Amino acid sequence: MKKLLQKLFLSVLSLSVVIIGWISLGLAAGPVKVGLISVLSGPLAPIGQSELNAALMAVEEFGPVFGQKVELVWRDHQFSPGLGNERAKELYEKEKVDVIVAVPNSAAALAVSDQAERYKKIFISTSAGTTELIGKNRYTFKYNFNDYMLATTVGRWGAKNLGKKWYTITADYAWGHDLLKNFTAAFKEEGGIHVGNDMVAVGTSDFSPYILKAIKAEPDVVAFLNVGKDAVNATKAAVEYGLKRKAKLVYALLFELDIKGAGLELFQEGYTAAPWNWQVNIPGAREFSDRYYKKYGDRPTFMAAAVYSAIWQYLSVVKKIGTTDTEKVIQALEGHRFADMFANPGYIRPEDHLQVASAFLLRVKKPEEVKEKEDFFEIVGSLPAEKVHPPVGFFKTLR
Amino acid sequence: MKNWFHRYWFILPTSFFLVILPFIVPYTSLASEMLIFAIFALGYDILLGYTGLLSFGHAMFFGIGAYITAIVLKRLILSTFVSLTLSMLLAMLVALLVGALSLKRRGIYFVMLTLAFNQMFYFIAFQWRDLTGGDSGFHGVPRPKIGFIDLNEELYFYFFVCCIFIILVLFAIRIVSSPFGQVLKAIKNNEERAMSIGYNVYAFKLISFILSSLFASLAGGLYAIHLNFVPLDTLSINTSAEVVIMAILGGIGTLYGPVFGAMLLVYLKNILSNWVTYWNLIIGILFVVSVLSVRQGFLPLLKEKLQSKLIIRSKTS
Amino acid sequence: MDVTYILAQLFNGLMLGSFFVLLSLGLSVIFGMMGVINFAHGAFYTLGAYAAYTLCYVLDLGFGWALLIGPLSVGVIGMILERTLIRKLYNVPHVYNLLLTFGLMIVLVEFVRLIFTSVGKPFETPGFFRGSVDLGFIMFPKYRIFIILISSLCATVVAILMSKTRLGAIIRAGTDDSEMVSALGINIPRVFTLVFGLGAALAGLAGVLAAPVQNIVPDMGSEILVLTFVVLIIGGMGSIIGAILGGFIVGELITLGVVFWPPIAYTLLFFFLAVILLARPRGFFGRAKFFE
Repeated sequence: MKKLLQKLFLSVLSLSVVIIGWISLGLAAGPVKVGLISVLSGPLAPIGQSELNAALMAVEEFGPVFGQKVELVWRDHQFSPGLGNERAKELYEKEKVDVIVAVPNSAAALAVSDQAERYKKIFISTSAGTTELIGKNRYTFKYNFNDYMLATTVGRWGAKNLGKKWYTITADYAWGHDLLKNFTAAFKEEGGIHVGNDMVAVGTSDFSPYILKAIKAEPDVVAFLNVGKDAVNATKAAVEYGLKRKAKLVYALLFELDIKGAGLELFQEGYTAAPWNWQVNIPGAREFSDRYYKKYGDRPTFMAAAVYSAIWQYLSVVKKIGTTDTEKVIQALEGHRFADMFANPGYIRPEDHLQVASAFLLRVKKPEEVKEKEDFFEIVGSLPAEKVHPPVGFFKTLR
Repeated sequence: MKNWFHRYWFILPTSFFLVILPFIVPYTSLASEMLIFAIFALGYDILLGYTGLLSFGHAMFFGIGAYITAIVLKRLILSTFVSLTLSMLLAMLVALLVGALSLKRRGIYFVMLTLAFNQMFYFIAFQWRDLTGGDSGFHGVPRPKIGFIDLNEELYFYFFVCCIFIILVLFAIRIVSSPFGQVLKAIKNNEERAMSIGYNVYAFKLISFILSSLFASLAGGLYAIHLNFVPLDTLSINTSAEVVIMAILGGIGTLYGPVFGAMLLVYLKNILSNWVTYWNLIIGILFVVSVLSVRQGFLPLLKEKLQSKLIIRSKTS
Repeated sequence: MDVTYILAQLFNGLMLGSFFVLLSLGLSVIFGMMGVINFAHGAFYTLGAYAAYTLCYVLDLGFGWALLIGPLSVGVIGMILERTLIRKLYNVPHVYNLLLTFGLMIVLVEFVRLIFTSVGKPFETPGFFRGSVDLGFIMFPKYRIFIILISSLCATVVAILMSKTRLGAIIRAGTDDSEMVSALGINIPRVFTLVFGLGAALAGLAGVLAAPVQNIVPDMGSEILVLTFVVLIIGGMGSIIGAILGGFIVGELITLGVVFWPPIAYTLLFFFLAVILLARPRGFFGRAKFFE
């Protein structure tokens, strides 16, 4: 009798488990499904959250396509390449999304790019910088920033205006390595000298050993090729050991979120580049920032703006050609010229699926200079797309 | 005839279940992943459930299987069977070395040794970027073709994994019901007694260790093909811990327990991916409960205590 | 090589070592007395850091309060866990309580994640310790000096407790032969609970001290726990001296290793661990009794 009960319990359990699985498949969806994979937990969560916010806004503000609301499906990959890969499989295979956007962490983006090719769906990479994504395969589009562009903007300008001797502190993973390659090439072009480098594991909280090494090398500029908490901890150590007094600090990526969390004093007089900033002089940028601010209580990062723009452009193209058929969408995106709050003008190169636009050089303001909430950056200059993006053929091409 | 039926009655419903599995789970590749970890847990049960050895480093075999298969498939472009076999053989060789050393110690020292070796391999893979891709993982593992069957089709790949799973299940059953398996159980129950009877306990443990690595590495190899990618995490302690949890929650010492546990955990982890926080907590609590109660001596001990109390009662009344 | 530079790195190694000392003191005594490999120690460390965060940032108390209440509360949690769950598995092969404490670690960490989310919590260096001691040729951050001082103080106190007090004598005797001690009329279970709580409190203290220098995330305990096991094995399980010396030495090894030979620093460390386990499992100062 007991054994029978056990078997009954097990079968009821299995049945309910299967039912849960089916229920989670969701109810009827609109014809167009957009997938978002980003870092929604862990130290970098605010970035992922801003991307998700922007995506929700984009889908809502764009309106219906083919008479039905566009559905957004999102997943957290916790900044891990393995999870990113699995979530991409799930989104393409189970949720049957037509396109995946975002995916921070260059290794994760590379994995998702491979899956896009396998499932023959589209991947618009807005959140990872590695140049390996440029021209990787037909289904991948590199949107927003890339390491060459970041490096060229800051590296060349920095070597000209801030100093010749550069010390680099690099996050020890795919993105960091790619940044290092591009940055050293960039500042060397303007006569810069590389006086030292340190590879630091992502998530390291104690940068003192590396800062001490940097001080020894007596650089004019110290470049932090990392992001988020890493950049914060590195800067803290730089201040603690007096490095900030001796050299200029330059960042590959720096977000308002980091500055808010750690304080403007810490980052003041630092330099960075970005393809966009909420105060930039592009028609629609300020309005977008205000709408975002009203809804979510802070200013959008350029990551968020890029996600918004990518989804918007994708949906515009789909609406124009009347189908989500992958091949047709790819052809429509190739050579797509557009102007929105993110890129004006913006252009997607057919040869390597790279979205190009201008880049901006930013200086972190001193606390006295702040005029309104989150007014952290001064836009020191801007460079047009041709000057900051790699020429066609510098990386891979598809033709 | 009856004996045969008694032992193998479960084959029909199980086969039926395996055939319909890819259709009842929300997406096919989930079914493949469930079986892959079932294979991992199956082999692990031979070591933990039947031999009584707790290894906290089995991810090293899983990871070696994954990386070798990936490298061979992508760089050397050999066939699936060759790559899986190569990774299996290499992992077993490593198991021989690691096991030979680790088994010189018992109890927690053995556990610590497996952990230490696991970490060594993890950091070697982490640093050897040219070979493994380091922290970013190994990208671009192809889905090969077997004859005219294209494993890029998720359903075909599932049945490929399923065949391997069935073969390994039969192999595992064979191992534990053989005389060899009986010695393992004897070692688990009372190592000193087994030694005093004359068995070379060390050798038996070592073989059990190597056998479990066979399963782990095959699972790893299939996992690499399944993901088209090998994350560094396959070598991490987290993965080692996962298989321990799967085995214990499922019920060690039964073979089907860990299999069921693995499949259930993989399934729920993927389906509930948006609610992971609560999920891990529940798993943790269930795990603690299992450890407190599954401990072999605990329940019979309880039974004994109750029985002795009843006997005393009846004697005094 | 630059003297200043080496000095600075050595100093950093001392700081890292301080954490190891606090963690391994507790682990060592707990293992020595009760044979429990306490995986949950990593969780106690994490709880300490989050306690500091809660006390200082949510309840707006000063860091001094965190230093007091933090370790105390973690110690209490430890004692509760010991009384309710862990003692159930004393008379059973050690492997089972390893699994139990491992499970407890998962549960505790997930609870933390549930309450505080996975986003890192901020924690500024407490005002009193901000800035560095500027010796001209080298700067030593004040807070790091404080960490080294506090843990050395604790280590000394624990060592004195062990060697000079009655309680210490009971603990040492219990480490050697707990049955005998019990037969002598001493309430061993209560001593166990106390010892476990003490160990947990030390781990909690380490967590509180770590809050300004480490990222406060739910997973912060796992990496340092594995490294603490290395300290434990090398120093010798059950030995106070081993925990203290081992802690500082491993702290230096890791810091210098990461700076000078980053590619193989960690691999070498675990290789060394395996060698010790095989050649001399009781480590440098451990008692041969645990040689299984």
